[in-house]
Amino acid sequence: MTMTSRSFKRLRLLAGVAAISMMIAGPGRAADEVTAARLLGANQEQGNWLLHHKDYGAHRFSELNQINKDTVKNLHVAFTMSLGGVEGGGIWTHGGLEATPLAENGFLFFTDGWGSVYKVDTHGGHGKLVWKMDPKTDHDWAGAVACCGVDNRGVALWNNMVVSHTLDGRLIATDKETGKVAWQRQVADPDKGEAVTGAPLVVKNLAITGVAGGEYGIRGWLAATDLTTQKEVWRTYTIPEGEEAMASWGGPNNAAASGGGPTWVTGSYDPASNTLFWGTGNPGPDWNNQYRPGDNLHTDSTIALDLDTGKMKWAFQHTPNDPFDYDSVAENVLVDVPGANGAPPRKLALEADRNGIAYAVERDTGKFAWAVPFVKQLTWTAGIDPVTGKPKEYDPKKQVQVYNVSATPSEQNPVAIICPGNMGGKNWPPTAFNPVSNTWYIPVIESCNKITVKAEPSQNKPRDWFTGGGPSASQRITGSVTAIDATTGKVTGKHETPYPMLGGMLATPDLVFAGAPDGEMFALDAKTLDKLWSFPTGGGLNAPPMTFTVDGKQYIAVLVGLGGAWDKWFIDSTPDLKNIEPGSMLYVFAL
Amino acid sequence: MKFSLNATALLMLAFSLPAMATEPATSADVGKLVYERANCVGCHKWSGVGGGGYGGAALSLRATSLDKEQIEEIVTCGRPTTGMPHFTNDSYKDGKCYGMSEDDVKDIMPPAANVVLRRREIDEVADYVIANIKGKGEPGLSDCVAYFGDTSRVCDIYRPKPAGASRHAMPTPSTTGQ
Repeated sequence: MTMTSRSFKRLRLLAGVAAISMMIAGPGRAADEVTAARLLGANQEQGNWLLHHKDYGAHRFSELNQINKDTVKNLHVAFTMSLGGVEGGGIWTHGGLEATPLAENGFLFFTDGWGSVYKVDTHGGHGKLVWKMDPKTDHDWAGAVACCGVDNRGVALWNNMVVSHTLDGRLIATDKETGKVAWQRQVADPDKGEAVTGAPLVVKNLAITGVAGGEYGIRGWLAATDLTTQKEVWRTYTIPEGEEAMASWGGPNNAAASGGGPTWVTGSYDPASNTLFWGTGNPGPDWNNQYRPGDNLHTDSTIALDLDTGKMKWAFQHTPNDPFDYDSVAENVLVDVPGANGAPPRKLALEADRNGIAYAVERDTGKFAWAVPFVKQLTWTAGIDPVTGKPKEYDPKKQVQVYNVSATPSEQNPVAIICPGNMGGKNWPPTAFNPVSNTWYIPVIESCNKITVKAEPSQNKPRDWFTGGGPSASQRITGSVTAIDATTGKVTGKHETPYPMLGGMLATPDLVFAGAPDGEMFALDAKTLDKLWSFPTGGGLNAPPMTFTVDGKQYIAVLVGLGGAWDKWFIDSTPDLKNIEPGSMLYVFAL
Repeated sequence: MKFSLNATALLMLAFSLPAMATEPATSADVGKLVYERANCVGCHKWSGVGGGGYGGAALSLRATSLDKEQIEEIVTCGRPTTGMPHFTNDSYKDGKCYGMSEDDVKDIMPPAANVVLRRREIDEVADYVIANIKGKGEPGLSDCVAYFGDTSRVCDIYRPKPAGASRHAMPTPSTTGQ
């Protein structure tokens, strides 16, 4: 088919118009919609970081390797930026930074503790604030029922919107170009003791919200909001009324109504089965399991939900009738590994649990695969049954579980030392997985602490602390980066650190990056775990690092701002950290 | 003549207007600021009910039978074997704390608070607790609004729940930058 001279002229005209409109649009204004397809293919954009955990499998692994084990010694600060959100509210004297920045075409998107969203232009290797959206979070209302810091772990990107949460329970959609809020809705209810600290997970047109409040007697849930209609399309309770699981909540206290099971860490998604994987938190009251006889389903579990309906496909519980506060909220890392010793490949979900044990289950069925302790000290259980995946002391015929007797807090044993401590062998800070070496890296809190049990009144009042006692320091707490081979389920390395790991991991082809709460940002050799680089940021570092490129150059970014639960509740076990001041900074490193 | 009469009238009016200034703040008023600055709120809560927290259960100041002097001693000295911190630097140096020396409290020294309070501030916060918290029973709506004002939803749980909305709308976000 030949082109007529008229259609050729039209084509040239159209091309000219297109060229001019692109010139007018310019690099900062191109409407790069982050479509559902781009999110599914996030790993095809290695210079970007479009999802909270980098990809739907929660690997936090980047293929970028300009910064590698040979060049990392030259890594230095490229620029910093001072941020806000340091003021206190409720029971907190200051806000902090726990977010993972997202990167799209040289723009960073992240939140401060009170939920302000920042868009930063990093072109040219320096930071320029494009806009800041302040949601005007109700500090007193939300801050009174935030157990563990004024924190917000980040945003999601969807089409031309930036999607975020606030501590006071809202889901907000902000225009990515202008920073103006398009709409917001109330998802969680602080009048019930609910707060939201996690980043939303966006899949297709749904934003998934998890809730915090296991210390305030809430009943946990996951909710899906349709971003095109702003309506909630499903809400699944982790303690599901009217179902079989309710038989696991006995006793006279109607314990299920304030049974906990919160969902405050961002989950993962398998497009092949259209399944969401999410972790659920502790039952309440945290340290009085006699108040709530039964296994307390589905607290301390990994749950698999159908994305479209929120229906539970399967659930695997780690610590039945938990007396320790060993949440299973952690991210489930979805990995496909070759079978050991010539066995067929396995499709697994990995979870590094608060109880100090790393689990693998088959993600299509929930069937237990393997478990291995990843902490130095583990006293609450003799180990995990290799068939059932339950603690060896677990007795399904007993209503109230007593694990290792001397290490189980109860009304009869009201002061007990537990290892790991209640804050867990790993808390919210995310793990990272290298899919080439099949190595999984865990940011470990090497800990024990003391639990004192105190009976609660028979019904909890909304917004009242409801834990059945509390923890105190029993010994110094340190940390480690611990590596596990996901093929064999064995620990292959441990790099010990003087402080607990409170920030999270980033994995690249031959390095792993993490930050320590004394402010040290460091890089380890991915194989040997030898430290190859470090930099003292001088502040409280409790956020995950990430990496991205702009104009073809690789950068590492991390937020530095004392936050989380540690400096208020656990500081006595790390007395050196008492001198860290609150602050709020973005640090970006480059070669 | 008319002009000066009007000026005089104005002057008389000015002197007869009620004073703009309120009465000087009482020690208890100032004590509320100390209660916040020293983060008593963090454990004892805004209402003084105390209760649980990861750091352990703080006692209820509403239910307390301590008198002003005893409250001042506890703020100055903390409470050994508990999480109640001491708010001065020289707490155990001269025996004023429970008659104990630094040697006596060696292994059970309460934590040092992040904020150091002067004698006068300890006096003020004790006045605040005695006047506004001690013996006051269950906290209610008027206590809450007196403490927080009415721009937050923090006092909503003390109001009867109408079907549906709070008296406050969702906050309106603002954007700075471009």
